[in-house]
Amino acid sequence: MFELPILLQIGWTSLATSTYYVLFAVAFALTLKVAQVWNFVQAGVMGLAFYAMYAAMLKWGWPTAAGFTFGLAVAVAAAVASEVWGYRVLRRRRSPGLLLFIFAIVVAEFVAYLLSLLFGTEPQSLKKSLVSEVHLVGGVAITAWDLEALGITIAACAALAFYLRRTRQGQFMQAVADNGELAELYGISANRAYVIAMAIAAILVSIGIYLYGTRASMIPNAPLELILLAVIATILGGIGSLAGAAISAVFLSVLQSASILVIPSQWQSSLTYVVLFVVILFFPTGFRLPAWMAAKMRAR
Amino acid sequence: MTASVTRRAWLRGIIAAAVATAFVGPAAAQQTLKFGLAMPLTGSQSSFGKDQIKATEWAVADINAKGGVAGKKLEVIVLDTQADPTIGINAVNRLINVDKVPVFVTAWSAVVKAVAPIANREKVLELSIGANAPEISKLGDYVYTAFPLADVDLTALATYTGKTLGHKRVAVLYANNDSGVEAAKVYRSVFEKAGGQIVAYETYDPKATDFTGMLLKVRTANPDFIHLHGLVADMPIVIAQMRQLGITQRVSTYAGGYNPQMIEKAGKGAEGLIVTSLAPDERQNPNVGPYIERWKKAENRIPNGLPYTQYLYDAAYLVAALYEHLEKNKLPATGENMRKALLAVRTFDLPMTGKLTINDDHTVRKPVNLLTVQNGQFVPLTTVD
Repeated sequence: MFELPILLQIGWTSLATSTYYVLFAVAFALTLKVAQVWNFVQAGVMGLAFYAMYAAMLKWGWPTAAGFTFGLAVAVAAAVASEVWGYRVLRRRRSPGLLLFIFAIVVAEFVAYLLSLLFGTEPQSLKKSLVSEVHLVGGVAITAWDLEALGITIAACAALAFYLRRTRQGQFMQAVADNGELAELYGISANRAYVIAMAIAAILVSIGIYLYGTRASMIPNAPLELILLAVIATILGGIGSLAGAAISAVFLSVLQSASILVIPSQWQSSLTYVVLFVVILFFPTGFRLPAWMAAKMRAR
Repeated sequence: MTASVTRRAWLRGIIAAAVATAFVGPAAAQQTLKFGLAMPLTGSQSSFGKDQIKATEWAVADINAKGGVAGKKLEVIVLDTQADPTIGINAVNRLINVDKVPVFVTAWSAVVKAVAPIANREKVLELSIGANAPEISKLGDYVYTAFPLADVDLTALATYTGKTLGHKRVAVLYANNDSGVEAAKVYRSVFEKAGGQIVAYETYDPKATDFTGMLLKVRTANPDFIHLHGLVADMPIVIAQMRQLGITQRVSTYAGGYNPQMIEKAGKGAEGLIVTSLAPDERQNPNVGPYIERWKKAENRIPNGLPYTQYLYDAAYLVAALYEHLEKNKLPATGENMRKALLAVRTFDLPMTGKLTINDDHTVRKPVNLLTVQNGQFVPLTTVD
């Protein structure tokens, strides 16, 4: 089982599968960094984006691009609405963080319930057939979906990095993330930064859920489970670090797939919970390099 | 004064009506013969559950249209289990304690097992119709199955794979749930006893989306044939990923795979797939053709899991036969009497699935139809008795 082609295949496929986890994790980490909320509303946004795309593409027969755009628009509208009429109201009332957390969970559960009423609870996917075209490269099966998912995810992450580092509004968001009150003293609108963070997160999860829905089946409750891995990746990557969340999501995906080589298959699903337990217990602020190593790297 | 008398008259009238309702109400209610149906109306299994419920409701309507049972109407009370044991327990508690049914029908192995202690404790007859975990036959005095358990179709399938198809090395993949675990054990036991070798025996999380690691283990084991036992939500994904990894071996599965979604989602990957059906087809039973036409007319499609719906259609006739026995012998409708009726009648002639005999060991036997996917369609392969 440890032959090179097998290791390469597992590595490649789990890397491709990690793409939607990366997008979910980065979106979750972004709202946590900028708006300082554990944004479980994101699960509801994922569900709305998926079922909007599903309705447009498979029920109304819209072309893929139009269906995706519709799902994206619904997701962004829902995310912005949750910020403006939800989080902002609670912040204005100086509600404790726990209340924001409960609000997010309630919204996510309500959306899942609403979607199950509207669309039923049968598993649905965004393509009628889940079989993708395959190319064999050095004995490794590479599907068209793998290439599409990796390309889209890399492009989305690069666009986000560019936006945060190179644009004025992106830098404002960084400033709000560092110190919202200080940023406001300099004339930067924290509320605007929160809305933009929510909208960007909605775009990322829409892309992620599109990739997920073209590879697997989805039920209204699935986003609540999908977001668990995003939370683990966010904690493991170090709260506030988008790159850390992305790398952790890849690590978790590869770990879960590769674990079958060393542990019995029935234990594979429990691995996520084991990692969550270990992370909370031993790395509550994320996995960071030891101080001496970090200093050495900074010196270089 | 006149107004006062009128008010009193009204009041008397209302009280008289209320008293009359209190006495006549139960008498009228007794005219319906109730039974419970605890199935998944929501959740990932609802596509099967809803169609099975519809089949039972049609049968109840058909029985009542022909005069009911001994002049009384049959009534089905449907509750949702989501195929979840906890929700199933709530549903059955309500059926027994609130609706006071003496018999209820349920399915999905985990639910059947979870509610069995309630049925035994409350002495209410539980009829499992559709679940196939082998231990269902050992759940107690008040739990009976009217559906062949996994050993019936999997024995037929494993024997056919080894003896007729001549395969000696088989990989078994199964979903990590009650049905999958038990069914995989049965398949392995039968196939090994027949002289075959299980070269890979792997389980998977039915909620997972990537099965690469497990499938690479299968590819390395290089089996002649693959048996897959999961849910209709995950099996097409497993088959699709199998084909993408270059695993071209033929695949078999149980009756759960006899579903148009398998072909639609797995596409060409489903070609050659062998599935089982424990109910007769239209060639074997003349009632099945019109039944399928009824689905096409009413729903514009074939039901999800056609054979299961045939059994659930017959469930109403089975319960009607039990009530008929009680009415004939002037016995009260209790769970104990329902059980006695089941054992007294024992053999039932049912419209969709034919003759059904309840064995002493709480099992039933049926011929197993094998079908295969050919050019995107399920076509009959053979029948194993």
